Amino acid sequence: MDRGPRTARRLLLGLVLAAAMLFAVAAPALALTNPQVTVDQEAGGAPTRFTFVSLTDGDASITGMDFVFPKGFDLSKVTFDTVTLEGLIRNKVKVTGAATGETLSVKFDPSIAPSSTLRVQIYAVVPTNEGGTYPLKLSYSAESTATGTPVATQRTDDTMKFSYRSPTIPERMSRYLDAIPFVTQWNSVKALGMFFKPQLIVTSVPMVITGWFLALAWIAFAFPIAIVGGLCFAFMKMSKVAPLRWIAAAYINVIRGTPLFLQIFVAFIGLRIAGFRVDDNITAVAVLAMNSSAYLAEIFRAGIQSINKGQFEAASSLGMNYAQSMQFVIIPQTVKRVLPTMTSEFILLFKDTALFAAVGRPELMYAAQNIVANTGNMTPFVVIAAFYLIITIPLINFVGRLESKLAVSEHGESPTDRPKRRGGLFGGWSPASASPELVVQASSAAAPPRRSGR
Amino acid sequence: MSQYIVRIEGLHKSFGKLEVLKGVDLKVTKGEVVVVLGPSGSGKSTMLRCINKLEQPTDGKIFLEDIEITDPKTNINEVREQIGMVFQSFNLFPHLTAKGNVMLAQRKVLKRDKAEATKIAEEQLRRVGLGDKMDNFPAQLSGGQQQRVAIARALAMDPHVMLFDEVTSALDPELVRGVLDVMKGLAAAGMTMLVVTHEMGFARDVASRVVFMDEGVICEEGTAEEVFDHPKSDRTKDFLGHIT
Repeated sequence: MDRGPRTARRLLLGLVLAAAMLFAVAAPALALTNPQVTVDQEAGGAPTRFTFVSLTDGDASITGMDFVFPKGFDLSKVTFDTVTLEGLIRNKVKVTGAATGETLSVKFDPSIAPSSTLRVQIYAVVPTNEGGTYPLKLSYSAESTATGTPVATQRTDDTMKFSYRSPTIPERMSRYLDAIPFVTQWNSVKALGMFFKPQLIVTSVPMVITGWFLALAWIAFAFPIAIVGGLCFAFMKMSKVAPLRWIAAAYINVIRGTPLFLQIFVAFIGLRIAGFRVDDNITAVAVLAMNSSAYLAEIFRAGIQSINKGQFEAASSLGMNYAQSMQFVIIPQTVKRVLPTMTSEFILLFKDTALFAAVGRPELMYAAQNIVANTGNMTPFVVIAAFYLIITIPLINFVGRLESKLAVSEHGESPTDRPKRRGGLFGGWSPASASPELVVQASSAAAPPRRSGR
Repeated sequence: MSQYIVRIEGLHKSFGKLEVLKGVDLKVTKGEVVVVLGPSGSGKSTMLRCINKLEQPTDGKIFLEDIEITDPKTNINEVREQIGMVFQSFNLFPHLTAKGNVMLAQRKVLKRDKAEATKIAEEQLRRVGLGDKMDNFPAQLSGGQQQRVAIARALAMDPHVMLFDEVTSALDPELVRGVLDVMKGLAAAGMTMLVVTHEMGFARDVASRVVFMDEGVICEEGTAEEVFDHPKSDRTKDFLGHIT
């Protein structure tokens, strides 16, 4: 067998392999490691910033990039800048480029050195409204300097993804408002723009409304409990048994004699430090109910004691026992008398839920504070004021109507004899009745004393 | 069964150190109209209020027919439903209509059903001349009308005796007559009545017996003629001299 040709073939194979290996070393590697993109806006449809970050490999420098955004993206107003990061130092890179359709092409001058961290920020990209996860296709030009003579390579990367959600209805409304010239003009007036910014009104409503529901839910539980508690303490305070009277008096005096704010802090912070861990909402309901029951106890006691002794005597003389007299004669009259004051107490209690913002419960005030802190605009406070008023104004009217009805049933005055107490934001105000306290006193001399706030 | 509807024996009542009743004895037979006269503070009203224990007697005994009211074991509520009382200040229940006022105790104490209580309430209100005011609230009625509702309310309980405590004193003069007419009608119908009043005319016309009280004791009693025209006691003479 002739060994010559076999040896020659082996040699040739070896040479080819060696050349292939050499070539492989000379060509640039992938050139970008771990490229990533992030988008600022959570919701689509509005101008936003895209931030592209990647490591460049050690054997090639990047000369330019083409970012291919998904179909429908608007790049007409795009601006961009580029920095490289070396440790904590940022170096600004000169970059030129332009957008055509959905593609943004940029050129770096000088090219991005190997082994640097590259960051490209692309501003004012307008994504489509439709939320979802989208690819960002990237093709880039790299230049390998490994072999001495630069070798240009074109590579693509289609691993990058970003996502955003569709804008909510309030967000769409807010953007719609952005485009209205009148709204822009309105906001340019400082007092209007700072307190009544239409865009913030529409976006903050859905954010604070859950706080409103939370506050209402607390009250829905706390007030009935407070009524029961208040009745107990009222009867205890009128009891013939001295210790019961003392307990009731002590409770009522301590609760009414200390700020609700303090009680909230004791319940939320004090108890926690002491090692008691109770659900926050239960704690809130308990604090509100305890506080209100002390005030209601006094309202009920005053109401019951304001009923003429003759009523009890008349009921007794007809053979009714204590319970019957209370149930059918005294309590019905008391309810009528205390209903206005009770409603006022309800209004106060509802407003007091705002204090829980201080211990981080996400009610109305807390929600508004957060938005104000983020936007530097007071509009959310105005919005929550409206949410409080939705509840309080009808109740204030209700109290007014109850009081005039009470005056009719107790003094025989017909409603037309009295000045009408009208509701609404400006309800009941007239120069003659500018002092509401005076009106109240005149109309409910028989009613128990009211509380003017904490 | 006792021949007396109400029997008071040695009744004493003190408020703290003030002794208001200093031993009162009084017997009222069925169908009698006893009018109690006397100056203010003589203890007339207190005596009346002791009869249904709105005031707790300090000493003495009170009987309603055979029941000793002053016995602590007596269920006072059962006694009270048999004693009708009308107050100077009416004390109607302001949250109920005239009819509601008359019905309440019938329903809750006597456990009458609604239809019966309504029927009786309407009867009694018509009897006191308020057939057209049944659905009015007390505040919509004049003082005289309110007092007549109060009378109807007491009558609806079918009381064995009616106590009237200066029922016309709080009324405007023109309203007094209507109330007195109702009381006269009651007397004529045979109701046993104990009436504390300052209405001398009523006493003269209606009273089967007049009792004169002063300083916590009964000074004199007799027919209207005896007491008014031939008073024996100096205090009675003095009192009658002042007011006539």
